[in-house]
Amino acid sequence: MAFTSASHWIRRKIGLTEVRREKLSLTTKRFGEIMWATVHHRMGGPGVAILVFFVAVAIVGPWLPLPHWDASLFPRTLDPSWEHPFGTDHLGRDLLSRVVRGSQVSLLVGFLASVIAGVLGTLVGLVTGFWGGWRDEVLMRINDVFLSLPWLALLIVLAAVLGGTLSLEVIIIVIGLTSWSFTARVVRAQVLTVKERVFVERARAAGAGNMTIIRKHIFPNVFPLVFANTILTVAVAILSESTLAFLGRVDRSNVSWGVILSEAEESGALLNGHWAWIVMPGLALVVVIFGFSLLGYALDEILNPKLRER
Amino acid sequence: MSEVRRVVAKRSINAVITIFGILTLNFFLINFMGDPLDLLVPRAPSIPENYRLENCIRYGLCGPDGLPLGVADRFFIYLYNLVSGNWGRSYYWRGTPVIDVVMPALSWTLILVGTSTIITIAIGMVLGAMSAARRGRAFDLAMTGFTLFFYGMPFFWLALVMQLAFTTPQFGLNWWPVFPSSQRYSQSIDVLVWTDPDHLLDIVYHLALPSITLAIGTMAGISLVMRNSLVDVMTEDYVVTARAKGLAERLILRRHILPNGLPPMVTLIALDMAFIFGGAYQVEYVFSYQGIGWVTITAIFYYDFPVLQFVVVLGGVAVVIANFLADLILLRIDPRIKVT
Repeated sequence: MAFTSASHWIRRKIGLTEVRREKLSLTTKRFGEIMWATVHHRMGGPGVAILVFFVAVAIVGPWLPLPHWDASLFPRTLDPSWEHPFGTDHLGRDLLSRVVRGSQVSLLVGFLASVIAGVLGTLVGLVTGFWGGWRDEVLMRINDVFLSLPWLALLIVLAAVLGGTLSLEVIIIVIGLTSWSFTARVVRAQVLTVKERVFVERARAAGAGNMTIIRKHIFPNVFPLVFANTILTVAVAILSESTLAFLGRVDRSNVSWGVILSEAEESGALLNGHWAWIVMPGLALVVVIFGFSLLGYALDEILNPKLRER
Repeated sequence: MSEVRRVVAKRSINAVITIFGILTLNFFLINFMGDPLDLLVPRAPSIPENYRLENCIRYGLCGPDGLPLGVADRFFIYLYNLVSGNWGRSYYWRGTPVIDVVMPALSWTLILVGTSTIITIAIGMVLGAMSAARRGRAFDLAMTGFTLFFYGMPFFWLALVMQLAFTTPQFGLNWWPVFPSSQRYSQSIDVLVWTDPDHLLDIVYHLALPSITLAIGTMAGISLVMRNSLVDVMTEDYVVTARAKGLAERLILRRHILPNGLPPMVTLIALDMAFIFGGAYQVEYVFSYQGIGWVTITAIFYYDFPVLQFVVVLGGVAVVIANFLADLILLRIDPRIKVT
């Protein structure tokens, strides 16, 4: 008796995984197509190249032959030279190694915060789009409130509520909590159209429950959009972090690009004409965000069939 | 007609609910930043009791009986004051009524952000339309790449670079133009006289850098949206038909493309107008331009709750109202829109 139920259980388990694998392969195939199209897009290609470069720098950063980012080993505020391509800062730290270190912190904050925002936005979008009714009303009004409040003020006030100068985890959570609104909107709109499609009706007729329909039919169709939006949210998150850091609201031991810029401004880099100290970290920030913008533009053209027709 | 009326009613109710949500979230978030009683009514024993009491009542933290008010009580007083126009006194600006802090700042922001936004909307739309008309060609590619580069650029960094480039003669060039990089007018002016041409010129001179910084960022967004919404329309069948029946390119643009491509712009322009009331935080902060954004950031730094409560709400409510008005306009010009 126990044996038959076990074999039944195993068979069901296998059956399930087979279906799931098929579903997954469909999603990944679509996904692969999108990736392929993105890399070959005339805006997407350069965008991906930029992002790959910065992610690579962030990953190999610790092994690069650079002085430690927090060691005051050199004369103060040197101008760029072969030895210090970006110069040194007010404490005699090499700015190139600080910018490399900054790429790790900024990208980490960006990715983690946008994952939080993506999960939150997807959940809200699914619930509001699929069930509608009072849940939709309540969550969409909350969404409206978040979208209407001045973004930076909300960010700083929330940061101030959670503590004066922020640690990395708190920054990630704050940014994640404030940037889910847009993803939620996009997912909701997509769910609204997908749920009217025939295959959902068929699944329901075949006796599928709500959760099954969401898991097997709605989510796979929404996922590419969620992914695209999450990637774009990374740029917003990096921007948010650097702005918070520039305004002196974060713990400076986590050297992000915003922290370097904030120190530059505070130490009068502007008045003394230390241009590299201001231009270089900012340029890193701007180029990364440019990469995300290019990628976002390409994804928009690829995922929006109307634009693709051109 | 009743359909439209139903939509308008629904949208108005939503707007009211959203505004109430903004007020609530804003009040409680700000009050969680710290206890205003601790900040404002020092408990040091050297400070006389009656002074403490006076301060407490003066800033609306204690009732007339001298007992501290609870958060809930203060919330209702806040809602009432919002409507009555008595916005309380600023902590940081030594008891100046909030309205006297906010209103001058708002008018300066209106000068900076207002003029710059309106001009950039015009230029941005033209650039976007030009880009769309030449889509796929070199001009379009260069334009789009250019706008994307500036689109996500942080304002504070752009402001720093502008200061770096235009304040002291850089690159060893003496003919390089130099512009003031902070304040709204020269320190030498004691009392600003609006009718004095010299003073006006001074204001414009100080406006140059911040407004250009702001313009670059705003323009990128506008022209990008304009281009994409026009391209969207250009691939529609009715445009192809119009072209096939031999309509002049200019007429196609005026009769078919613009009327159908503008709806997304309405919302965007309305929002940009609303952001005027939010102020340009980063630009105003870097250039020490005492507008709404600067006041907000200062208020956050010094925990100036009364100012903060009203300034942040001002920006939020402006966005809600702008969205609502944009919806009304869209309802009027686009018959396809139904309540969503």
